Amino acid sequence: MSFLEVKDLHVRINDPENEDTREILKGVNLTIKTGETHAIMGPNGTGKSTLSETIMGNPNYEITQGDILIDGQSLVKLPVDERARAGLFLAMQYPVEIKGITNLEFMRAAINARRDDDDQMSIREFLAELDRNLAVLNMSESMTRRYLNEGFSGGEKKRNEILQLMMIKPKFAILDEIDSGLDIDALQVVAKGVNAMASPDFGTLMITHYQRLLNYIKPDFVHVMMDGRIVKTGDAQLAVKLEAEGYAGLRDELGIKAKLVDDDVTEADADDD
Amino acid sequence: MTIKQVPDWFTKRQAAAAKAAASLPMPTFERFDFHRWALDTVAEVPADTTAVPTDLGDQNVVTFGDQTVHVQLSAAMQAQGVIVEDLQTALTAHSDLVEKYLMTTAVKYDEDRLTAFNLAHLNHGLLIYVPANVQVDETLQVLMVQNSLTTTNYFGHVLVIADRSSSVKILQQLETRGDQANHFHLITEVLALENSHIEFTGLDLLHQNTTAYLNRRGYLADDAKIDWALGVFNNGQTIADFDSDLRGKGSDSEVNVVALSGGKQRQCIDTRVTNFAPHSTGNIAQRGVILGSSELVFNGIGQIIKGAHGARANQENRVLMLSDKAHGDANPILLIDENDVLAGHAASVGRVDEHQMYYLMSRGISKPVAQRLVIRGFLGDVLVKLPSEQLRDRMIAVIEGKLKNELAN
Ligand SMILES: Nc1ncnc2c1ncn2[C@@H]1O[C@H](COP(=O)(O)OP(=O)(O)OP(=O)(O)O)[C@@H](O)[C@H]1O
Ligand SMILES: [Mg+2]
Repeated sequence: MSFLEVKDLHVRINDPENEDTREILKGVNLTIKTGETHAIMGPNGTGKSTLSETIMGNPNYEITQGDILIDGQSLVKLPVDERARAGLFLAMQYPVEIKGITNLEFMRAAINARRDDDDQMSIREFLAELDRNLAVLNMSESMTRRYLNEGFSGGEKKRNEILQLMMIKPKFAILDEIDSGLDIDALQVVAKGVNAMASPDFGTLMITHYQRLLNYIKPDFVHVMMDGRIVKTGDAQLAVKLEAEGYAGLRDELGIKAKLVDDDVTEADADDD
Repeated sequence: MTIKQVPDWFTKRQAAAAKAAASLPMPTFERFDFHRWALDTVAEVPADTTAVPTDLGDQNVVTFGDQTVHVQLSAAMQAQGVIVEDLQTALTAHSDLVEKYLMTTAVKYDEDRLTAFNLAHLNHGLLIYVPANVQVDETLQVLMVQNSLTTTNYFGHVLVIADRSSSVKILQQLETRGDQANHFHLITEVLALENSHIEFTGLDLLHQNTTAYLNRRGYLADDAKIDWALGVFNNGQTIADFDSDLRGKGSDSEVNVVALSGGKQRQCIDTRVTNFAPHSTGNIAQRGVILGSSELVFNGIGQIIKGAHGARANQENRVLMLSDKAHGDANPILLIDENDVLAGHAASVGRVDEHQMYYLMSRGISKPVAQRLVIRGFLGDVLVKLPSEQLRDRMIAVIEGKLKNELAN
């Protein structure tokens, strides 16, 4: 069993364009074991993507305090590629397009990056593995010969993130809004892919706005993030409750002074009542 | 100088070139200064005594310095009457042909000091002639190896003539043997006569200590077509002057150039297509990658002469810089003298996209491999235009090799 631990994580954003420096994460604590599925929910702009990008090692986010560890080994000094090889995978909210590199050669490079020079995966083995995973995800083989994410629809990009996940087989996967922009069928297909990964050696952290995803991928823990902290942790029922009640109730119940992006709307609604 | 026993006309033309060389100015290339390279010097070195290496290659034609090592055409090429000869032989066996075309039609010897110098100091040459109506299927492979076991400068000339309605594919590969510093001075004239089609591939792999002046010039008659695929992968200083003159109506030149600069190297690639004739088409696509503290200048010149009604001229020059010390330029120049034409250009000088690097590395791919992938992606849309998969793979292998060296530092 492996552990991914986030300890008292504080993260600052340095935005050179606006000469803006802001603390986004204000002390996040989280432990995920392989074999577990966690979900994080929370209002827009509270730092969920910041948390995932920081765990992965995006250089735009600066850690000012705290630590991120896999099995007790700190990752914070490692560049992104070493973290990936240590077992992390991030399905990004906005996957990048790269013209001129096929999906196929990209995935082979990713797999072979984890192997010794004298132990590279053969093309035959690779294609067999690819075919199995394409079938799970209802993806056509032609997608793999196209340039990486180039011209992919929003939903195709998300599927392609899961395809990479299935090919790479990390220890821990962070899925940032893997359900956004997916139609109902695609949502089930993507969930099928994630569920196919389930094993005692694989842990998941899902970020989502919708309880619906959690009907397909059952979480062991649901965390609520607000204003740069995890403010509440519960089981799958917590997501159901949030879906029904929204975040304002929870915020007030916990006495948090965060402003929600849609406060004005909520208040306007309240006036109407 | 190994060219002896020459016809009268040649002696006269050479003398005229020598005279012109004394007064003509050096050519100039936008945004690139190379006067210190002293390309207009003949290193006076005692007679060359180095033995010809025996392991150069088994291409159809192999040359080493001023010697033609062998010419071996396939039975099919011979049966079709394809002529490939060392210039020394051609001056006797096909004097009329050489007299008609050598620096009279595509490149004129009195254009500038370097063209004049080439003829005046010529020490080696090749004639390639494809008779009218002959379609050569196999690629004619020509390997030209610079002899850098000595410091002797090379002044060479390749004259390619595709006669009416013929077609031919030529691969000209340039390499260096040895590491002495010298100049490699080569003019390749490519004449595509009426309705002929030439696929000309250049693979330039000269050594770091070889300073190169590479002039490749196409001359296109009515309805002729030349597809150029030029990979400039030299490790030394390079002037590459790649021009096409669309003299015949309906002629078409497609120029695809991929270049890599690394180390402290400086390279200028000056690619021009001139539409002289109505309904002629010239397209230029150039991609360059600059590493280390090197320099690469891409000039793309599209010129449409008055009277070239319905001409088309398009170009795209893009440069990718991988280091802060690199210097790059992508410089489109459109000179248009006619109204009913279609002309366009695009140019960019950019750096590696950090988002792309992050995405690739987030899948565990190391930085050098990610950079290589991004570079490959950048070169991709020109590489896909190469005439054969084999050639594409060959170019990719050369690029990967050069990148591996450069990115390891
Ligand atoms: N690269 C960046 N530059 C500037 N500001 C940023 C950057 N990344 C995040 N932020 C800011 O940090 C805050 C948290 O953003 P983050 O993307 O982590 O939120 P989120 O919880 O994922 O929101 P959503 O649910 O909308 O995806 C936001 O105010 C956002 O504008
Ligand atoms: Mg987000």
